[in-house]
Amino acid sequence: MGHLYTTREKYAPEQLEEMKEKYTPPELVCSAGSREVIDREVVFVGIGISDLAGAIAKLVHTPNVILVAEAGYIGFPSVAVLISPADNSAGAMAMCHQSLPEVFIDQQSGFIDVAYLGFAQMDKYGNVNVSYITGQQVKMNGSGGGGDIASSAGRVVYTVEFNPRQWVEKVDYVTEPGFLDGSRNARKKANLVGGGPSAVATNRGVFRFDPETHELYLAEVFPWQDEEDIEEVRKSFPWDLKVAEELKIMEPPTERELWALRLMDSTSQYIVASMMDRPLGRIVREGKLNLEGYDEFLGLTERAIREVLEFVS
Amino acid sequence: MKMAIRGLGTINYEERAKDTDYKKRLNKVMTEKEAVETFLHDGDSFCMGGFVMWRQPESIMREIARQGKKNLSIIDESGNYEGIDLLVELGMLDRIDIAYTMTRQVGAMSGTPALERGLREGLPRLVEAGGVLATPKDKVKSDVPSLKIVDWTNFQVSLRFVAGAFNIPFMPCRSSFGSDIPKYNKEIKEINDPYENKPLILIPAYKPDVAFISVQRADRRGNGQIWGFKGTDYWKARAAKYVVLLTEELVPTEKIYENPGLTVIPAYCTDAVIHLPFNCLPTGCFGCYTVDGINFISHLRQRQSRDGALKWLDEWVYGCKNHFEYCDKVGWEKLDRLAKSEHKLNRIPG
Repeated sequence: MGHLYTTREKYAPEQLEEMKEKYTPPELVCSAGSREVIDREVVFVGIGISDLAGAIAKLVHTPNVILVAEAGYIGFPSVAVLISPADNSAGAMAMCHQSLPEVFIDQQSGFIDVAYLGFAQMDKYGNVNVSYITGQQVKMNGSGGGGDIASSAGRVVYTVEFNPRQWVEKVDYVTEPGFLDGSRNARKKANLVGGGPSAVATNRGVFRFDPETHELYLAEVFPWQDEEDIEEVRKSFPWDLKVAEELKIMEPPTERELWALRLMDSTSQYIVASMMDRPLGRIVREGKLNLEGYDEFLGLTERAIREVLEFVS
Repeated sequence: MKMAIRGLGTINYEERAKDTDYKKRLNKVMTEKEAVETFLHDGDSFCMGGFVMWRQPESIMREIARQGKKNLSIIDESGNYEGIDLLVELGMLDRIDIAYTMTRQVGAMSGTPALERGLREGLPRLVEAGGVLATPKDKVKSDVPSLKIVDWTNFQVSLRFVAGAFNIPFMPCRSSFGSDIPKYNKEIKEINDPYENKPLILIPAYKPDVAFISVQRADRRGNGQIWGFKGTDYWKARAAKYVVLLTEELVPTEKIYENPGLTVIPAYCTDAVIHLPFNCLPTGCFGCYTVDGINFISHLRQRQSRDGALKWLDEWVYGCKNHFEYCDKVGWEKLDRLAKSEHKLNRIPG
């Protein structure tokens, strides 16, 4: 795998302080997530951050992976960030245009090695809820293809910005099956064909699942995450989160990863947190609904796609 | 009211003989208004082609709204956010079978404001979501039955059409073991398969009354050609009782012969062809025009409140007699700009 490890000692304390402020959460998530793929694997990407992680992997670490988007686009060369799995930028240079059920049939047959997903709530055993928050009368997006991916993809890498509220003792609704009750061979007994979640890449470290107990644990941290920071992370969990005995220290995002991220998301679809602060949101907020506004926004998108195409072709 | 699931089991050939009159026509060209009047009736179920923000016949949703249909049910994987929410706002839907609704996806805005308002306040209508949440009854008194949302995964929704197209009552799959989706959605069944005696998930067939499908190119007889991703469209075209194509380009049949591999919906599936450029707006159409993000976001902003949504309806749905008036209202120079943007990336050959 494309893991990049280091030691804390490599950096002086001032350097660590500086690094801590240098990167935005999406940058950390995408770069950590992008290192989870082996070359030549078939990679199912989602949208936004869970697309960017796979796209960076293809562009920087593992050039021979085949990217797959749900709508039916196969083998596209990381052309700009996807805001939907049916985006023209994925279709423009795809090796294959097929249908949605075919993608899922291929997945059920084991062709998809790894898939990227996001989530709203996760429990100790990697079961995920993206459907309902019952206490707050909130309906979330729902499964989409997530329920199928978590059931049948070879393994699943979750990419999310760390949020203490997302860890729960018991999810309100199991949309995407993880290791179920955590018992031995639980997935196999349930007849699930996929391997289940393998990693949760966040801006506060990478979490993995114990091969025996299937319990989530903290496996890797960024160099600036000291004991205090790790304790704070642990306190965000409603259970006693285990930390790997040999906790690995990840290299911070590399120049190349950040370059790839900026290249693919130069219109700030995801590196800027709020929709209304991104170029499209700003244009709408400023009321530029005339042709000039269209020129401005579409011009940005066209330039962004052209830059990537120039690089990959 | 008709139930949302129907047509399980064998085909009624007598009924089909009557229905296929449209399918046997040599010239199936109609207007959007005619097609909705002819094929979609109160109480009917329908589905739309395309997938998340691309190649979705959103104009037909505005026409359905203008015609004031009632008690409809819709089934879709993911997408048609604006169209579905607009019908929810008008209280026209009784049931939505769906995998993904884009709630709270777009920054702090709700992607489906009417649905969320319904769930919270019972306006425009009481909502019962997935058997998990319902509008608190103490807040609102209403005699109108709740709008029912039924949860599936994307694959499961598409398998419903595949089973419908196969003309068999169900399709088995391996999605959702151990998940709560089959726990709350009782139409999903689990059995031990008779060959290996291992559990399988069964997804019931769905034969909607009407499938509205956007294609890039079609002829008068109803051969539909699709560029780019195919979604679940050719299964939908085979599962539905009536198939209405909305085409960007209406071409002579000779043109269809040039690229027969792209004809994913053959004429015998099709009941009507509507020649309607830009019918997917505000979603995009591969090779024709890109997504109108500015309109989508600014309209979504307007629709956040009930008042805003009603004003938006007056302006953008009832304020336009047909799709071309909608295009006039957006402005053709902007539509050309969207087309130009797509053509820089993709162009339909020939």
